[in-house]
Amino acid sequence: MSSAQLEIQLIASLVAIACAIPGTFLVLRKMAMISDAISHSILPGIVVGFFITQDLNSPLLIVLAALTGVITVVLVEQIQKTGLVKEDTAIGLVFPALFSIGVIMIAKNANDVHLDVDAVLLGELAFAPFDRLLISGVDVGPKSLWIIGIILLITIGLLFAFFKELKLSTFDAGLAASLGFSPVAIHYGLMTVSSVTTVGAFDAVGAILVVALMIAPAASAYLLTTDLKKMLFLSMFFGVFSAISGYWVAHWLDASIAGSITTMLGLLFLVVYLFAPSKGLIAVMYREKQQKIEVSLLTFLLHLKNHTEENERHVNHLREHINWQKIRAKTVVDLALKNNMVTIDNHIVSLTKKGDEFTSQAIDYIITNEDAQIEDMKDDFFLFRG
Amino acid sequence: MSSKIAVQVDDLTVAYNYKPVLWDIDLEIPEGVLMAIVGPNGAGKSTLIKSILGILKPIAGSVSIYGKSYDKQRSLVAYVPQKGSVDWDFPTTALDVVMMGTYGSLGWIKRPGQKEKKAALEALEQVGMLPFKNRQISQLSGGQQQRIFLARALVQDASIYFMDEPFQGVDATTEIAIINILKALRKANKTVIVVHHDLQTVPEYFDWVTFLNVKKIATGPVKDIFNDDNLTKTYGINYKVSIQK
Repeated sequence: MSSAQLEIQLIASLVAIACAIPGTFLVLRKMAMISDAISHSILPGIVVGFFITQDLNSPLLIVLAALTGVITVVLVEQIQKTGLVKEDTAIGLVFPALFSIGVIMIAKNANDVHLDVDAVLLGELAFAPFDRLLISGVDVGPKSLWIIGIILLITIGLLFAFFKELKLSTFDAGLAASLGFSPVAIHYGLMTVSSVTTVGAFDAVGAILVVALMIAPAASAYLLTTDLKKMLFLSMFFGVFSAISGYWVAHWLDASIAGSITTMLGLLFLVVYLFAPSKGLIAVMYREKQQKIEVSLLTFLLHLKNHTEENERHVNHLREHINWQKIRAKTVVDLALKNNMVTIDNHIVSLTKKGDEFTSQAIDYIITNEDAQIEDMKDDFFLFRG
Repeated sequence: MSSKIAVQVDDLTVAYNYKPVLWDIDLEIPEGVLMAIVGPNGAGKSTLIKSILGILKPIAGSVSIYGKSYDKQRSLVAYVPQKGSVDWDFPTTALDVVMMGTYGSLGWIKRPGQKEKKAALEALEQVGMLPFKNRQISQLSGGQQQRIFLARALVQDASIYFMDEPFQGVDATTEIAIINILKALRKANKTVIVVHHDLQTVPEYFDWVTFLNVKKIATGPVKDIFNDDNLTKTYGINYKVSIQK
């Protein structure tokens, strides 16, 4: 592996971590689309900054572009506040307008410089190692690496300092306000960090990948954990994993690095979405199926409890009475037998003591909806897990 | 009940997009009362609480807590928002939510430590939710979630408690548990202000009541002013509830 390859992977990984941090909070605040808006609308900021500084990596350019990002958020909120259109419409109005201004400015004035729409959308990660930072003539590494490194350090510093405030205002803005933590200040702080990160990552990975790196790792992590800190770490891990694996996929396929990383992010989310232990699609489908069987079981047990007469409890009559198909009836009876809730004696089904108690308890719960009495049943039955 | 005024609201007017939702409210809440705020939907009950707590900015009027502005008296006040105002799928545990109640006294940047954790565990114990401390909040029933919110307010150890519909969507056991805690707070000379929907239970639960419908209709002891006349004025129809006095 050459040092250029290593540098590209390092840049991609740092970008992934820097994106995962604000991304986690954007996902939790249901503001994923805002990152899309920011990533596009900072273009005019970048172009104006470039005209002034003639340097794509100048700090002034980053400040100007980040400012455009914050202006985007303000504009979206102002349009939304009129009550005439909803938030998604406001986002859809603001960012194409700003983005198109940037596109026109590039087309009119910057045709002959290293700034074109393709690079803006997809980035040029492969070229990142060629743009070196020289300090008094000494090569200290690629410029992009330094830029994203510094942004990441600041982001981590802010996360450490304001983790509590971010968590509180994301979960309960009303309480945050009443306790004196300005949710508005925290909101704009997060928007500023998102904008700065987007600008810093923009040059390396482009507008589309920035969005993917902010949202996909956080969305995947959200399906896997119920702990905010773990969610942050998982997002970072997923981001880095996709960055590095995406790089090698691009290497083998001789394809776009940004495109490959984004594809890996998509695949990663798909796998998590299908296989996540409790929130994944397969787990949910399994749970729903089990719940259906359990409801049937309860119906069956209740029928037995309500009928003491033998002819109502005869195996041959049960199927007609409850009106179930053979397979379903068999599944339910097997489940009841397995749990020692019924006994079958001479074709007559009877509730055991356990089955009787279980039925009363379950009915009580369904009527009163009081949780305390079914705590011990939650482990065995999906039905009672809410 | 002492004669001190815990919360004073003067000429408060609040508007959303220039449409007043609270109009010229004057209100004095004495220390140590357990007060219900009642009124129809859209009467501005939640808005009143939010304006007192500085979450919403009024277009006119002022609020004072024990004679000083809310900003200076924050530490004396605890707030229980409507249960539906937060996302219960948020990745956090019951204990962690209760710990949030300690953030106010910690201030910016400082992290909660052992002392805060201990206080949170005690509050969980008080509402009977200690066995659920590590449970993810979406795995709790509606009643349990409301108890968690109550514990989060208790951990603040405030003098005045504002609660927005704490009985909404809770089971009977939780309702009794909550009202017992509220009565215990009153006994400790705390002031408790509750947005309440169930008119039938007002005389049983509360000793003070405020009728609100954009304007203040009446405020005072339940035994003096909780009558058909005020109910009709507030709800606009000939409202009669059977009240056992």
